[in-house]
Amino acid sequence: MSPGPSAVLLAAVGAAALLAHRTISVAVIAAILLGLCLTAPRRRRWPYLLGALISAGAVFVITPFVETIGSHPIWNGPIVPVLGSIDITREEIAAATYQALRLASVTLAFAAYALLVDQDGLLASTRFGRRSALAVALGTRLLPTLERDASGMIEALRGRGVAVSGVRGHARLLSPLLAGSLERGVNLAEAMEARGFGRQGATRAPRPPWTVLDWLAVAAAPLLVAVGAVWL
Amino acid sequence: MALASTEALSFTYPGGGEPVLRDVSVSIEAGEAVALLGPSGSGKSTLLRALAGLVPHFHGGRFEGRVCVGGRDTRRHRPADLAGTVATLFQDPEDQLVFSQVDREVAFGLENVGTPPAEIGRRTLGALASAGAAHLSGRRLEEVSGGELQRVCLAAALALDPELLLLDEPSSQLDPESADVLERGLDTAGGRAVVVAEQRPQRILGLVDRVIFVEGGRVLLDAPVDAARAWLAAHRPAYLFSHTLDIPITGSDPVTSVCRFVHTSFAYRPEAPVLEDECLELRRGEVAVLTGPNGSGKTTVAKLAAGLLSPSEGVVERQGRAAYLAQDPGRYLITERAVDEVALGAGGDRRRARDALAQVGLHGFEERHPHDLSSGERERLALACVLVTEPDLLVLDEPTRGLDPERRDEIVALLRAEAARRATLVVTNDVVFADAVADRRIERRRPRKLEPALA
Repeated sequence: MSPGPSAVLLAAVGAAALLAHRTISVAVIAAILLGLCLTAPRRRRWPYLLGALISAGAVFVITPFVETIGSHPIWNGPIVPVLGSIDITREEIAAATYQALRLASVTLAFAAYALLVDQDGLLASTRFGRRSALAVALGTRLLPTLERDASGMIEALRGRGVAVSGVRGHARLLSPLLAGSLERGVNLAEAMEARGFGRQGATRAPRPPWTVLDWLAVAAAPLLVAVGAVWL
Repeated sequence: MALASTEALSFTYPGGGEPVLRDVSVSIEAGEAVALLGPSGSGKSTLLRALAGLVPHFHGGRFEGRVCVGGRDTRRHRPADLAGTVATLFQDPEDQLVFSQVDREVAFGLENVGTPPAEIGRRTLGALASAGAAHLSGRRLEEVSGGELQRVCLAAALALDPELLLLDEPSSQLDPESADVLERGLDTAGGRAVVVAEQRPQRILGLVDRVIFVEGGRVLLDAPVDAARAWLAAHRPAYLFSHTLDIPITGSDPVTSVCRFVHTSFAYRPEAPVLEDECLELRRGEVAVLTGPNGSGKTTVAKLAAGLLSPSEGVVERQGRAAYLAQDPGRYLITERAVDEVALGAGGDRRRARDALAQVGLHGFEERHPHDLSSGERERLALACVLVTEPDLLVLDEPTRGLDPERRDEIVALLRAEAARRATLVVTNDVVFADAVADRRIERRRPRKLEPALA
């Protein structure tokens, strides 16, 4: 499938997960997207899956403490100023599961987009807003680049006999990683300008036309969103 | 009229106290190949950027004088407008990549300058062929080696068919077998002018018409290549040959093995083994140099020796402490002061850190931010970071990248002087450096076997 229709379809699946009312429906969507992500190479997929797991897990843990719904308590906690009584009810757990799965679906849809969609092809097929599309494409590459830089940094430190361990040890890498990515960004911007980016009258290399499958995917996207909003 | 010229050009980067270029007046004629030589941080890259219009448009700073390219004053024309007339191959190919697929990367510039769509494919393939990279068409950039990446970036520059081609250290990632990339880049057929900044002048002096030598931001020499050779021999001999070939290692114990590969195999992916049942010994008191083509697994051997990778079969035995200097180490500096960076490997001992900085010629750089250093200075800082650990096995992966010949000779002298204390394994594509520093050469070839070349 061409990158454009693939991206549209993934966006529709993410939107359907956000609009769906039933937890089981959202869970099925999340499972499908997870399966899709698992087809990507192991080395590339783990940061995305870890990100999805951590963000969804955080929502699942925090939601019961900030929601005050339900009448079937599972655990009665202390009364905290401002927040009130820290009870956890069965309904809050259900709500937390639903919210966590929705977030997981959206992050997994993005992960599938970043891992499986041909970013170059998507950028090349963009008929308008090419600068924005380029920014998104380059932004999508940021995570794997940071992961590679972090690995290189840890390896370089090990080579100097400096062990990197624990949260504090890894946290120390954040600032140099950010500085490195900024430097890389400046170098890239300079190279792009030298290659004429932003000049008036740019053209586009011819792209292969969409296939029937591509058209079907684009047609199915709004249907998916509607199904998510009405039936799921 | 000259194709490109600078008139009394002086330039200071924003926030920088000293001018990087001072009163530089040079001209480049059509069809001319010019080598730009000089020490690290002398202003070579800045002069190339000025010719591309990136200085001052992209960098800002204080700009005095005038730069004209193709009859256009660069103060009035942005770099993007000069693209096509000028094309630049920057130092680090990885930082130039916009796309992740070879053909699209090469086509990017063509699209930007408004090439008719029907021509883009043909010109892309033609440029890849000109750069010796036709076989890379259709490949993903993450799958190609550093040398191949350099070819793709050269193709992207050649695709624009520029009147002026600027090459900033194009050979820094190339093995000797890839010397044709330089020849292809320096091809002036059709009237193209080429300016190449280079730290390995031995490779290019036979390919250029003229040499400009820059130091401290000033032009010290602007002469035809024969006159330049005579001047270099008299004033900067390190640019022609190394003086450190005969530094003996004294007090060494050449029989003590510090690292042994015993029937070692390694593969990142099972279907593509990098090492298969290979043996190697590194002894205290010798400097072993590992050479070979790009992608032949030299870095893998270095990492195995240093204990950063574990063999999939066989063993790598080590006696004592190993230290490893990675390729492009400037990317992996994590503190905000040079002295703190070095002290990391010395348990925070700043006195030792200062000594190590002085050892690599960075006395006075202690309080500087590592990211404010030039690429050659970063390379030496990283070397200090590993030397300060006082290793029994020192593994250096391409330690001369970005170093000018004089600094390179200092590193040779340092490694030779320190060699008796440890075993040293150097991975390099720099043949002059290899000749100067090696007691023993290990050639890595395809198919991937380690073969002692010199005893």
